[in-house]
Formats: sequence, structure tokens, C-alpha cells
Amino acid sequence: MKKLLTLLMVLSLWSAVASAQTPAWNEIKGELKTALETKGDPVRGAAAFEPCQGCHRQDASGRVSGAYPRLSGQHATVLMKQMADIRSGRRSNPKMEPFIGDHILTPYEIADIAVYLQGLPISKENGKGPGTCGVTGKLLYDKDCANCHGGVGEGSAEKFYPMVAAQHYRYLLREVQFIRDGDRRNANPDMIKVIKPYSTCDMETVADYMSQFPPPQK
Amino acid sequence: MIHRDKNHKTTSGRRALGIAAALVLGWTFAAPSAAQDAKTIAATVCVACHGENGNSAIPMFPKIAGLQEGYIVKQLRDFQSGRRKSDIMAPVVAALKPEDFASLATFYSGQKLNPGEDADKKAAGFGKMIFFEGNEETGVPACVGCHQPQGAGHLVYPRIGGQHAQYVTQQLKNFASSDRSNDVNRFMRVLAKRMSDEEIESVAAYLVGLDSK
Repeated sequence: MKKLLTLLMVLSLWSAVASAQTPAWNEIKGELKTALETKGDPVRGAAAFEPCQGCHRQDASGRVSGAYPRLSGQHATVLMKQMADIRSGRRSNPKMEPFIGDHILTPYEIADIAVYLQGLPISKENGKGPGTCGVTGKLLYDKDCANCHGGVGEGSAEKFYPMVAAQHYRYLLREVQFIRDGDRRNANPDMIKVIKPYSTCDMETVADYMSQFPPPQK
Repeated sequence: MIHRDKNHKTTSGRRALGIAAALVLGWTFAAPSAAQDAKTIAATVCVACHGENGNSAIPMFPKIAGLQEGYIVKQLRDFQSGRRKSDIMAPVVAALKPEDFASLATFYSGQKLNPGEDADKKAAGFGKMIFFEGNEETGVPACVGCHQPQGAGHLVYPRIGGQHAQYVTQQLKNFASSDRSNDVNRFMRVLAKRMSDEEIESVAAYLVGLDSK
């Protein structure tokens, strides 16, 4: 974890320098920094995750409806960043916000939960798209998404790019739209630029394609 | 000071009663242990509302058999400090010694909660869905997440399977209005506020018949 952290810090510093005026979307500071520096304990994480199970389910498989994402197997770094961003208000989530405030979880528990979730098997079937994306989905994904989210949707722990494989279709679709429309404020500005011209049909197609990826081998 | 004296008097009176009862029943006389104290208090004080071994027969009073030890102690402390408000429980708990809380909790958590029969099958059916799925539209988490598939509870989350519908309904409404505010991390207040009356009454109807073992 130490090596990873050093790499993360260097990357973060680099991107902070690159865009000196606005804080980088992936800047490592505050709670995220504390969580990344913590050696998360999956046993404590399992206990701290318990109140989250009412929505994300006991096995963290989320909901096929897309109302709540699958969290099992997701990169711990990604989970820490999203939790920290929701707590700080950078990512708006009114449904979840009252259940994750800093009177509930410490930044250390954020690390515990993230490590616990990362280690869970991705067992349950995810909600898939209609499967009608044909070649267009692959074309769009390979051109616009694969560079960051990986050829098979595996994402990148080092760069905070989420694994999109085996995620629920409706959740993917909702978030892509939030990001395109600027409603997900903690998004990578590069991604907003890339998908700005996407039509509803493009979003459905690419979300459909991503939802068909099987869980990546670890 | 007066308050404390009164407590003391009540306690010693009850203790004398307990010892007398023990003698009548032919128990070996010894300094009464905490566990015996708890049994005596249960049989003389709590029984009137909470029933034999904590299986209340009166729908407005909760069954307390099989509740988690820590949960019982917390509720008694909260009644005592006024964090949980109840005109009925406040004077009862004021007459108890805080030392009795732990042994009462051990006694009641060791009893078996007997479920009832769901009176309203239709409501129970909808309630079952809320219990396992919550409401995604309004962000009501599923009860099962914390209270477990049989409603047996876990850690700080109390057993709710088999509880009286009237009591559950009242508590959820109290959480929603913040009349009850002693929940951990405000979870129950937040989620009860998101529930409709129909959801509250239905989930309560489902819990009645849920055998949490």
C-alpha cells in the first residue's frame, strides 16, 4: 500500500501542477489522504459496512434496478474517493448523505470498508443492458473509454478509475448521464469533454456494452 | 435528595419482597445474586406490562424477550436519562438501580420471543417487500440490512421479528417525528421520515409473524 500511495501522491502532485488554477478532480487531500494512508482492516470494515447493506445488500451486489451500485470487488482507492467526495459534498447524493456523515464513519473506517468491499467476490448477476448495442457500443467504448477504464472494464486502482465491468446497466447509464450533464461534480473533466456530444442513444449503447463485461480476473 | 431517598426506599422494599419470595419458594438462603435480583424484578415489576418472560400480551407494550443485551441496557439508560421519553417507563426505571440494568438485560436477552400471527395477510405481503427491498424511489433502506433476514437483529440492531405491530408502528412514527431520538447515528429517524404510513403499517404487520428463532 505504501508504494501505491507514493505513486498516487506523485500522480496527484503532477496533475495539481498541470492545472494550477482549479483543484484537480483526483487531488489527494483531507479525508481521502487519511484513508489512503490507513491500513484498512476488512474485519472492522465488515462491521462498519453493516448499515450500508439495507441498500447495497449483504454481499454488496447492489440492485439490478441500478438504484444502488454494486460495490463488491471495486478498487479500494475508488471506493475511498467516492465516499470522501460524497461526505464533502463534491459528489451530491442526498439519499446516501445522511448515512455516511462524519458523525457515523471515521476516515479510518472508510479505509476499512473500502478494503473489505474490494475483497468481496463479484458473484451475483449484474443488470445487463438490452444487448442490442452491436458494434457501435464497442466502437464508442474502445475509442472513448478503454484508455482509462481498461479494455475489459477493469479500471485502474492507481488512477481512481472505477471498474465498470459487471456493474448494473441502469446505474452505469444514470452516472454517464450525470457526468455528461455536469451533475456529478467530482467527475474527471477529461471524461466530461469526451462524452459531452453523446446522445441518449450513445449513452445507452456504451452502458449496454460495459454491462456485458464479465467480472475481471484479479 | 428526596428523589434519591424515594428510590432507595422503593428498591429496598422490592428487595425485601424478593427475599420473602425466595424464602417462600424454599430457595437456599444466601445473599441474593444479581441474577436472582433480575428475576425478582422481572417477576414483580416488568411482568405487568412486558408479560411472562418478556412476551408482552398487550400490543402497545413491546415484547422484550430475546432483545440484544446491549440494546436493553442502552434503552434503560436512555429512559433514565430522559434521552428516550416515556411517561410509563420513566418512573419505573427511576425506581431501578443502574446496577440492575445489566442483569435484567442478561435475563431478558436469554428468553425466547414468541412471534404472533399476522392479522393482515395483505399488508404483511407488502411489508415483506419493504423489509427485504426497502423503497428505492424514496431511499428507504431495506430493514434486512441491519435487522437480519429473520429479524433477529445483530450488534446494536435490536430483534424486531415477532414484535407487536402496534408497538412497531408507534416507534417508527415516533422516529419519523423525532419524538423518539435515541437511535444510533440518526439512522431510524432518517429512514422512518422517508416511509409512508402504509409502508410503516405494512412492515409492522409483516414483523408480527416473523419467527426470529
